[in-house]
Amino acid sequence: MSLALLITLLSPVIGGFVYGVERILRARMQGRVGPPLLQPFYDFFKLLEKRSMVIHSFHAFMGLMYLLGTWFSLYVLLSGGDILIAIFFHLLSLAFLVVGGFSVRSSYSILGSMRELLHMVAYEPVFVLAAAGLYLITGTFQISQILHSDKLPLLYLPLVFIALLLTLPSVLKKSPFDVAEAHQEIIGGPEIEYSGKFYEAIYTAKWIEYVYAFFFVFLFAGGSWWLGALLVLLSFFLVNLIDNATARVNFRQMVAFHWCVLIPLVVINLMLLALWRS
Amino acid sequence: MDFKKFRKKSPWLLHYNTGSCNGCDIEILACLAPKYDLERFGILNRGNPKQSDVLIVTGPVTKRARERLIRLYFEMPEPKVVVAVGACACTGGVFRHMYNVLNGVDKVIPVDVYVPGCAARPEAIIDGVAKALEILEKKKKDFVPPKVCKNVEVKEPINRKFLLEKCLGVKNEG
Repeated sequence: MSLALLITLLSPVIGGFVYGVERILRARMQGRVGPPLLQPFYDFFKLLEKRSMVIHSFHAFMGLMYLLGTWFSLYVLLSGGDILIAIFFHLLSLAFLVVGGFSVRSSYSILGSMRELLHMVAYEPVFVLAAAGLYLITGTFQISQILHSDKLPLLYLPLVFIALLLTLPSVLKKSPFDVAEAHQEIIGGPEIEYSGKFYEAIYTAKWIEYVYAFFFVFLFAGGSWWLGALLVLLSFFLVNLIDNATARVNFRQMVAFHWCVLIPLVVINLMLLALWRS
Repeated sequence: MDFKKFRKKSPWLLHYNTGSCNGCDIEILACLAPKYDLERFGILNRGNPKQSDVLIVTGPVTKRARERLIRLYFEMPEPKVVVAVGACACTGGVFRHMYNVLNGVDKVIPVDVYVPGCAARPEAIIDGVAKALEILEKKKKDFVPPKVCKNVEVKEPINRKFLLEKCLGVKNEG
């Protein structure tokens, strides 16, 4: 328990390193040198020192609650709690971000918040169904028991794993599914009006989301943790490759892809599993 | 712990074109592309004034662009630096003394570094930004009002919306 608390407290550091590695990897894929590994932390300390401009206190508070909500959902995951509770807390933290985005009059912020809601509509069913798949294999929603089960969920749920991999760009706001945070068109979406320390909270919450999203990939290896680490590395590379190789789709195509391709993929896998069992 | 040294390590850019011919803008984008790769120094093109440290302005400031330029300057949190890129941004260039331009960025907002050239070369822009970062490290967090605010008293805490309305003499509706 204390180990889980320690890892949760350190998760911004871990996520920062992941983000630093990602920026280097992305630069190398584009034939550039890229920033130093510690660049996210340099950004962190610079933002700490900048003057913060507050639109109104509720907006700033929602930014901080987004950080806290993401952090808490990660704690639920790492302390071996219920997988569904972690998913719902993550949903709640995104709801804070959306409410904050709607509370200002900037049109980009409101547009970004609407798109953020569409993101949630798109990828949350896949996550919940993936949790259901893990339940069918291991017989429990408790992460501590999933991580010690002797079965390998990846063997029974290959289509669910593929669907989860293809939702990761949507969770992490990467191409082709980055409509909520389209930096070239709505300049960050819900996060546009945050500055200084409050933007820092959003920036840190994004690093924590990296740890959160890749932990789900890790769960698919069940008890064999080395395989899990390998899966995380491969999926990290794949997500960045897709991010660099594709352009942004519009929100209709994004939701249609999730609901007409990925969710049927998951459902087919679960149905075949049920047939094979009986 | 002294956080001032981190200003130099992660400057985020805001690029604004005040009626330039796009020559300098292309060169600024060339700086961010693989050949010169400004991200080596942690420089990102954010496009968002509220999260930026360096304002890069090109063009001779047309009368239409003046109000937007002042607004962007107000929306950037301190500490910040302004870099005028290109002959037009420094003096007005070939557009100097035309009826529709204000002859350079420093007629409107305080400028820290001038980068000459038509169009300014990427090497010169990188050099200018590096100079700007040295200035950024020494800057205080005071608000330096642009010239239009000469008659308006600035006091802490700064209400930027009120100040902008006073200085421009228009109602801000955003």
